[in-house]
Amino acid sequence: MSSEPIERRVSYIGDRLRGAKCPICGKEYFTTRHYCGVCGRASVGRMKHLDLFYEKGVLEVCTVVREPTNRFRGLGSYIYGVVSFHDGAIRVPGRITDLIVEGDLDPSTLEGREVVPRIRRRYAVGKSDIIPTISLAFTFADEYYPYQRFEPAEPKVRAEKPGIVGYGVYTSRFRIKEEGMERTVPFIDEDAITASVEAGKLALIHSGVDPGLVKKVYVGSESNPYAVKPIASKVAQVLELGVKLPGEVQEVDAIDTQFACKAATSMFKDAAALVYYPFVETPYVMVIGADNAQAAPRTTPGGELDFFVGFGASAFIFGMCDVIAEIEAWYSCTSDTPDFWRRDTQKYPRHGGRFTGAPAYFKHIEKAAKGLMEKFGYKPSDFDYLVLHQPNPTFPVKAAKNLGFREEQYEAGLKVAKFGNTYSSSSPLGLAAILDKAKPYQRILLVSYGSGAGSDAYVFITTPLILEKRRRQRFTVEWQAENQFLKYVDYYTYRRFKSGLQLL
Amino acid sequence: MTKYPTIIGYGRTKFGELYERRPEELIEEAGLKALDSAGIERRDLEYCFLADYFLQLTNKIGLEEGFMSELLELHVPMEKCRSFSSALFNAYNAIMAGRCKVALVGGVEKLTDRWDKVRDDLMILEDPWSYYAGGSPESNHELMLRMYVKDNGLSREDVEGLMEALALIAVKNHRWAALNADAHFHSKPVSLKEVVAARKKAHRMLGLYDFAPISDGASAVILASPDVASKLCDSPIYVVGFASATDFISYACRKDRSSFLATRLAAESAFKMAGVEPKDVGIAEVYDQSTLLELVALEDLGFYDRGEGWRRVKSDLEVGDHYNFEGGELYVNTSGGRKADGNPLGATGGAMIIEVAKQLREEAGPRQVSFSSRVKAGLVVEHEGFGTKTYVHVLSRERP
Repeated sequence: MSSEPIERRVSYIGDRLRGAKCPICGKEYFTTRHYCGVCGRASVGRMKHLDLFYEKGVLEVCTVVREPTNRFRGLGSYIYGVVSFHDGAIRVPGRITDLIVEGDLDPSTLEGREVVPRIRRRYAVGKSDIIPTISLAFTFADEYYPYQRFEPAEPKVRAEKPGIVGYGVYTSRFRIKEEGMERTVPFIDEDAITASVEAGKLALIHSGVDPGLVKKVYVGSESNPYAVKPIASKVAQVLELGVKLPGEVQEVDAIDTQFACKAATSMFKDAAALVYYPFVETPYVMVIGADNAQAAPRTTPGGELDFFVGFGASAFIFGMCDVIAEIEAWYSCTSDTPDFWRRDTQKYPRHGGRFTGAPAYFKHIEKAAKGLMEKFGYKPSDFDYLVLHQPNPTFPVKAAKNLGFREEQYEAGLKVAKFGNTYSSSSPLGLAAILDKAKPYQRILLVSYGSGAGSDAYVFITTPLILEKRRRQRFTVEWQAENQFLKYVDYYTYRRFKSGLQLL
Repeated sequence: MTKYPTIIGYGRTKFGELYERRPEELIEEAGLKALDSAGIERRDLEYCFLADYFLQLTNKIGLEEGFMSELLELHVPMEKCRSFSSALFNAYNAIMAGRCKVALVGGVEKLTDRWDKVRDDLMILEDPWSYYAGGSPESNHELMLRMYVKDNGLSREDVEGLMEALALIAVKNHRWAALNADAHFHSKPVSLKEVVAARKKAHRMLGLYDFAPISDGASAVILASPDVASKLCDSPIYVVGFASATDFISYACRKDRSSFLATRLAAESAFKMAGVEPKDVGIAEVYDQSTLLELVALEDLGFYDRGEGWRRVKSDLEVGDHYNFEGGELYVNTSGGRKADGNPLGATGGAMIIEVAKQLREEAGPRQVSFSSRVKAGLVVEHEGFGTKTYVHVLSRERP
């Protein structure tokens, strides 16, 4: 049982680690306060807001919790301690996440290390309860997920065409490696919601966009842990998108979309059109594709997906200012082709077997790519890069060859062998990998695919700003693919982590 | 005529996993024993104070006074408190204010009735954010242990000595419990080796034998006004000092994280009120929810300097079951402490008060210690939560 009013208040404070600072004596508090305990009435109404969302702290003291209370049992053993910020001006309790505690771990060896707050599931709840989240989960700043300052910048250069102004990709630290293919595995406290917020945060860091100017956010996913309740509302609230209104409400439009693996790419054009629309000012729009793709066990129907599913999220911010890649063209096609589906209340999706190849994936990808090239007069040699939806390592290569593209064009964006199929984040992750290394004035063709079925094709052309913004992001696709802190897990752990924290 | 309320009778149940008994039966047993020992009847009671933490959760009992009324067939004023010490304090105030002359102070807990959820329930006594962040009932003790090491700059070698001192506290308290038929672990002496092995097995700093168990039990005390007491009782125990103090619910936010501010403050004013000093104390029951808390209490109460206690604890307990000071001996947790006597939260303070009262009245049987003439007082230190509240009671057999 969870009480929704409590959940609302706890998440509001806990997801962002909101606090207060007394302007008179300087005392800092975790959790919001309307007066300072030291200064009393003199401070009423004068307290300054502070939050720790983009800060780094120090793990001051810690212990290993080996017998968690019931709701935390799924985590096994974990590190719990006190994290201090601002040189000890403020202290919070915290749990270290993304860490599998093995054998005798001397907690004192972890004390004094810098940590970064991470939004995670708080603990296990019943199947019909609100899923509680919190950012009192931390990871070490010198490991997989680096500490990065968020430095919003004033918009400078206005472009003629809308395009991407920044992006972020978030994949987890854990991997499963089978038959030469690596796939991302969420830690047990992660899901499509937490990944969406992480990706959005990284996109804000990369773009330097003032979150108050992001007026709409789309989240596309096929693995929202809720059948009814948007992920986008969590993203908008935690990232404080749009202007903050009284009553803890953001002046922003937030919406979830669903169309298998093209739920996010489909909204790229909507985002571009919105920022271009002249009558109502919408400076920036965020589009996130996030999935913790579920698969039935291998021996059961739908189990073929268990070899390919990944976990991750990609966020793109569209706008007219400081664009790093302009959109030149788009084209989409759709048919009612049921090659992959999941009925309401069903835990795992079903899959059309061989039917998902020629009549589904190849048909739509190739029609969209060809349709775009014919309509706008491109030929394969006009593109420096090609990125396709990548459900497995073979399909995108075959489709690229069918379309007349060479390996040099598609290899930079082909990441499925490192991350698995991240569904809504699949082709966006490939696009991000290309943007991570593209030079100015290079042309990229992206073709997504969503079962059900349809494809969206886009042409992007990079601008000189791409080089300048690149310096703002260390957590690149390459960083996440080749990282000394990656942790490889076995099949059993992968299944356990993927199904998430549950009441035992 | 003394101005201090006095304890004229007491009773308790055995502490332990009392699965077969209802909470009403436990409080009934303790209450009857207390009435019996005071030589009064239930109708002599003018006020009742009952302490429990979790009956609402464990037994779905939310209006304890009604149960008390039904058990005693009494319609006198009654109040429900959290800890036994707070109930005693309320009774004390009621007597001093002239509201009554004889009051029953009872405490009961039935933690094993919710054995599968009780560790989650215990987190209610903490800051919810600590719970949300993954804290467990034991984790603050281990964090404090780390802070004790850091704040006092203990070397690796010192830490080994500290850990041995804590293990010796567990061994000592189990040894005392072996002499206490009512103790949770009456027949379970442990060796130093076992305490250390339990830590090793759990891969933790503090292990099974460093922590108090989860227990059921009840206790009761009859408190009377001085004039009534002198008529009813030959050997009254006077409550000559009382104080409590409070600290932040969030351990992370406290200024001092290697000792308890609340204990230091409460002890200071209780000593002042009683007109005694640590050197006048010969017997104490301190709240050893973990072995660390006995050590920290000894420092907070002023028996040792901060950061120095562990050395003295180690050297004293290596050779005996009590602590030595220049002026004499200090016996601590002769009941077995919470560690081995058991910790049925609401009844806990009662057991502590009773033990010190028994020792002072020389009714402690095989546990009876002998006091030198310097000993003026006994001390009871109870916490609510992890040092969030500390109650200090100073008891004396001498008419003040």
